[in-house]
Amino acid sequence: MMLWRASGLLLLGAGVLYAQSADPPQNNAGYVPVLSGGMGYVHNVNGGVTSLEPQIDPILLLPLGSHFLIESRVDFTGYYQRQNLTSGPYTGTVYQTLEFAQLDWLASTPVMATVGMYLLPFGMYNERLDPIWIRNLQDPPITAAIGNGSSGAGDGIMLRGVPYQNSSFSIQYSSYFSALSTISKIQASRTAGGDTSIFFGNHRLEIGTSYQRYLQGRQTNNVASYLSWQPPRTPLDVKFEYDRSYNGQGYWLENALWLRQSPFLQNIFQRFQFVTRMQQFDPFHGGGNGLPSVGTNRFDAGLNYYFKDDLRLISSYGRQFSSKGNENVWNAGITYRFLLPLWPGRNK
Amino acid sequence: MIHRRPAILAGSLVACGLAVAGGLKLYASPSSQQQNTSAQSQPAPKSGNSEKSGKSGHAGKTAKTGEQIFQQNCSRCHQAPMSIPPRITGTVIMHMRVRARLTGEEQQLLLKYLAP
Ligand code: HEC
Repeated sequence: MMLWRASGLLLLGAGVLYAQSADPPQNNAGYVPVLSGGMGYVHNVNGGVTSLEPQIDPILLLPLGSHFLIESRVDFTGYYQRQNLTSGPYTGTVYQTLEFAQLDWLASTPVMATVGMYLLPFGMYNERLDPIWIRNLQDPPITAAIGNGSSGAGDGIMLRGVPYQNSSFSIQYSSYFSALSTISKIQASRTAGGDTSIFFGNHRLEIGTSYQRYLQGRQTNNVASYLSWQPPRTPLDVKFEYDRSYNGQGYWLENALWLRQSPFLQNIFQRFQFVTRMQQFDPFHGGGNGLPSVGTNRFDAGLNYYFKDDLRLISSYGRQFSSKGNENVWNAGITYRFLLPLWPGRNK
Repeated sequence: MIHRRPAILAGSLVACGLAVAGGLKLYASPSSQQQNTSAQSQPAPKSGNSEKSGKSGHAGKTAKTGEQIFQQNCSRCHQAPMSIPPRITGTVIMHMRVRARLTGEEQQLLLKYLAP
């Protein structure tokens, strides 16, 4: 209740401030509502069991002027397997999940405020890399389960922004408080936390860390440290993350290399992206909460072919090693990002 | 399992170091014209005009142009878009300003670059 009152006050304040701060536009950018999102199909074979996974994740972006934005994403994922896992007809269901529904107030550079149901900014995966058209490898890292609570979302308030910037780096932060919600569509845990990173724009290097405290049950802490680097002049994207929770710790390291400098057949090879990821995970207290109960290592290699920036074929092979047995995981599929104005409009 | 903690940390640092070193070594010296072939430097979006925004885009604390901000930021998380229809550029850049924690100034320079 307190939370909703606080949000109400915030919005009221926002309205007053907004009325005073409309910038004169110096460009032709328009603010028409948008329907965007990702869709795709993944054919997954994991330890000999095939799953067919079509997915569509529409996002609605509804601007209110140039300082307020309502954004929401719904996930529809179909999950089909053979009746007896390796034989019989395919059966399955489509799962529907509300992933976020939030109001953003772009108040100022050091403080932007969000109220509603938002993605928890913990580590890099949940908020940045999760959409089907973004992930370089379709299976999330093992440690993506750390810091994402029951649903990957928080219900409450989040502040974020850039408190300091100069010509060589900027410091960014997010901090949030989420109330417990057991309502089925908007589940969230009672938790508070934050994320901060330093971004060296000229080197395209970001180093960050996230912290989260569970304010329910055992009151445990989660931490993450990450690095994201796209070296200028090198067709490479390096991402590294280390996560630690009460249930375990692990890291993943992903490299995505474009084959743009192939000495032969360059016009074909330049559309290929070669991805590798290695991960190591160790459970604590028997694992759980989405994490394996035994030490697990995994290596993945993938090859993606981009028709355009928003349409690609994906494929990958992974091998997982653990004392419960080793497994091969294959993925192949297609992903697409769509971006549509919701109604025709003038440019401004 | 406690005894494995230093091993996993050491492993992760070594792995990271190797990747970085490997990346540098493999592709350390492309010529300056090849800057645009970088995975992250997608060709400028269709609606943008780099000449124009390059000249009019300097300002404020970043001392960067809209094009530089685009090149440095818009492929941190995903493939930078080749084009955004001008009538939704304002909406998309608001969305990305929140996601990527960009400054108000960066937002304005991006708008000028993408929808001049
Ligand atoms: C911090 C990571 C990050 C950065 C940096 C980033 N994006 Fe995004 N972008 C995302 C994510 C995540 C989505 C998908 C949104 C979702 O699924 O909720 C997205 C979606 C988009 C879309 C699809 C439409 C939409 O708004 O959902 C466009 C276009 C886009 N980004 C352009 C850009 C541009 C231009 C920049 C540079 C200013 C940029 N992005 C920087 C993470 C990022």
